[in-house]
Amino acid sequence: MNGFALSVSRGIARVTESALGPYQSAVIRIGFAGTWLLFLLRELPHRQELYGPDGPWSWDLARQLIADNGAFTALMWSDGQFWFETVYALAVLASVLLLLGWRTRTMSVLFMVGVLSLQNRSVFMGDGGDNVLHLMSLYLVFTRCGRVWSLDARRAARTREARARGERIPDRVGPVLWVVLGAVLVAVTAAGRFDSDWFVPALLWGVWLAQALWWVIGRYAKSYEPRVLLDVVANVIHNGALFVIASEACLIYATAGWYKIQGSRWQDGTAVYYPLHLDYFSPWPALADLLAGNGTMVMLVTYGTVIVQVAFPFTLFNRRVKNVLLAAMMTEHAVIAVLLGLPFFSLAMIATDSVFLPTSFLRRLGGWVARACGRLFARGGRTVPEGDPGEPRAPENPEPSHVGFTA
Amino acid sequence: MDANDGRSNAPEGPHVPAQQPPHPPPPEPQAPPQPSYDPADAPAHPDARLGVAALSLRYQVGAALAVAVVAVAALVHLGMVFLHVAPSNTVTKQHGKAIDEWIYPEFEQNWKLFAPNPLQQNIEVQVRADVRTADGTTRTTGWYDLSAEDGAAIDGNLLPSHTEQNELRRAWDFLTATHDAENRPVGLRGTLAETYLRRIVVLRLGRDDAAGPGGAVQRVQVRSRTTNVPPPEWSDEQVSTTPEYRLLPWWPVPADEAAGGVR
Repeated sequence: MNGFALSVSRGIARVTESALGPYQSAVIRIGFAGTWLLFLLRELPHRQELYGPDGPWSWDLARQLIADNGAFTALMWSDGQFWFETVYALAVLASVLLLLGWRTRTMSVLFMVGVLSLQNRSVFMGDGGDNVLHLMSLYLVFTRCGRVWSLDARRAARTREARARGERIPDRVGPVLWVVLGAVLVAVTAAGRFDSDWFVPALLWGVWLAQALWWVIGRYAKSYEPRVLLDVVANVIHNGALFVIASEACLIYATAGWYKIQGSRWQDGTAVYYPLHLDYFSPWPALADLLAGNGTMVMLVTYGTVIVQVAFPFTLFNRRVKNVLLAAMMTEHAVIAVLLGLPFFSLAMIATDSVFLPTSFLRRLGGWVARACGRLFARGGRTVPEGDPGEPRAPENPEPSHVGFTA
Repeated sequence: MDANDGRSNAPEGPHVPAQQPPHPPPPEPQAPPQPSYDPADAPAHPDARLGVAALSLRYQVGAALAVAVVAVAALVHLGMVFLHVAPSNTVTKQHGKAIDEWIYPEFEQNWKLFAPNPLQQNIEVQVRADVRTADGTTRTTGWYDLSAEDGAAIDGNLLPSHTEQNELRRAWDFLTATHDAENRPVGLRGTLAETYLRRIVVLRLGRDDAAGPGGAVQRVQVRSRTTNVPPPEWSDEQVSTTPEYRLLPWWPVPADEAAGGVR
């Protein structure tokens, strides 16, 4: 009993004292923002057909469906061309800035608004990749995903250095951003445009008010206690969100795997042959024929896919096995990207997988990228600060029994 | 929804506002994270790493409350998502409404990726039209195989567009899901699906210049052609590869639509 109480208190200390998995949360931030950014750029020539007011799924059709399902989309605020182009451009901008980690929390909210606005505007254009991004953009808002590998981290380091020298660097951009976004929130609410389900508007207002609270407490609180409490709350929410993200990944694989087991084609070992022969998923028919030409090969891949998907959640209890499966799944997704012509679905899944990457690997990866950028720009990879700004936690989780993101 | 499945992204049924308790919104690190809050005037102070132990009882209760609320919210959410993706069962039959209220509209998901069985048929959507040509005569075009056009656009393409891979495919799934066996629309979604598919085929016919210069599309007829994927060479299965057709009634095309839309 005593041991139980001890481990509970140790657990509470862990989830309150820091935002766990700084590298994992940073890599998924970069992964999801990058995937959505590439998608938006790729679809730039098709943006009108996909989401524009006069596209096949016209503004009026969308209005009727959304009146029914209550999904959130800023594109319903006006049926004008100018508004549509503005939202698309802002969605691109928010992806870039979230990727770079500039004002990460605010950008994660704007990123979510961009993803939801476009996807909910034309729900019948999406596939599994869009579905992953949709959910993850919501979850990312709750994380502190800009602690490393971000412009925010660099700014934090500079502020710390300045403070050590006894200087003050006032933050002017933050309050300006807050005021501007607040004005937009007030205007939209006053105009009665938040007629969707209450959740997203409440989230937007909540984050905006929390930022004000954060600033006020940081500036005017007499004692350190309110600040520490806010920090603790932010950590707890981050850790909860990261847990939800990791669990969501497990649910994806478990669902995909367990339903396959029930399918006769996955049982008789021919399932993989079929998607390769669907016109919509066979950009390389000759290659598909080559791969599908050997029955034993097809059966091994078919069974292997099911085994990996069903097994993955359980392998989280063993770091080594988990890492092997992770590598297998990422490879499979890379192959799917090309073979089935699903690049953005695969990218989104690889980004999801990377929440399980080991910290030691991510730090090495960061080092490589920083060096490569350094060589590329000669002046040094400045957006990828080396080392570990303000998060000197144990790089690898020493407790093998711990499940999830730090391992 | 998934790469293969068609209509799952369509939220089903009227939406009732979800009852998700708002997660306590996370504060923004306005100023740099952890050690300092506002670099402008923050004196050295113990940061969270000192842990809740550094707090007085009042604040410790606040921290404990935060842990409890977040833990409950996360677990309830995951439970709801689990029940949403699980097969129909005792619990979902009893509490389906509560689960739907939590999940829709923003947390809807479907991960039956090529499961339980991958699609084993190629479904081609084809269209023909009555067009009035520039000289005033009316003629009926041949069948345009729009899915084959999509397939050709995807061939050899490293980055297929959603307009080629999802648009028509999912519009057809949406239509079949919202129409009865007599091809009559069911409910609001049935009508929406019809208008949507009509606008897609008119758009594609415009691109194929089906009406010719100065002509206009007056009405369209859509059919699907379903062919089984032939079984693999090494298999001794026998599957008919004769195509099956589903023919929809003619739909008139509103004048503004025949000319307008995205080009």
